[in-house]
Amino acid sequence: MVLMAENTDIKKQHDRIFEEEFLPQIDALYTFAYHLTYNEDDANDLVQETYLKAYRFIDSYHEGTNAKAWLFRILKNAFINQYRKKSKQPTKVDYEEIINYHDEEDSQYSSYLDLREEMFQGMMGDEVTTAINALPVDFRVVILLCDIEGFTYEEIAKIIDIPIGTVRSRLHRARNMLKERLKTYAQSLGYKDKRK
Amino acid sequence: HRRKPSLIQSIKKI
Repeated sequence: MVLMAENTDIKKQHDRIFEEEFLPQIDALYTFAYHLTYNEDDANDLVQETYLKAYRFIDSYHEGTNAKAWLFRILKNAFINQYRKKSKQPTKVDYEEIINYHDEEDSQYSSYLDLREEMFQGMMGDEVTTAINALPVDFRVVILLCDIEGFTYEEIAKIIDIPIGTVRSRLHRARNMLKERLKTYAQSLGYKDKRK
Repeated sequence: HRRKPSLIQSIKKI
């Protein structure tokens, strides 16, 4: 009897944390999920999986701390697992190889890009959107977390589990890759191509 | 662009 009452209290407490701290993050989580998958069904699945996992492990969440960063970390891990299953390829990318290869042979650079790029060519007229979509996922993630969600470098480091220095260099490279892919726009702003 | 979830009802499984 006492145990049942205790369980009811715990359930109430968990539900309150869920309602007050987790649920308000759903718009940001959905935006992030959508820009990772570019598919509404996949984004729905990811967000749902994130919330169910968060609830299952709610005891490891410290009430009143950074719920948004905690949920984003769960979503990112769920995405990586899903992405690995789908692509049957490791998600780790050799960044040095990308940059060096790109510098050597521009036309073959696309072979290193996210395989889903093909899907967008011809589907979206907006070259900027296409360029963002075509960023390798690890680079797209830091752009989304920093520029769209406003996380600090330290928070991003915790969410994607990499050193803060790597966050800094990944952001720098991600933005350079975007500029590279948006030369026409960049040149209209007065940028000079410094890489040739 | 920011996107809005439709899904909320289904999650509220919790």
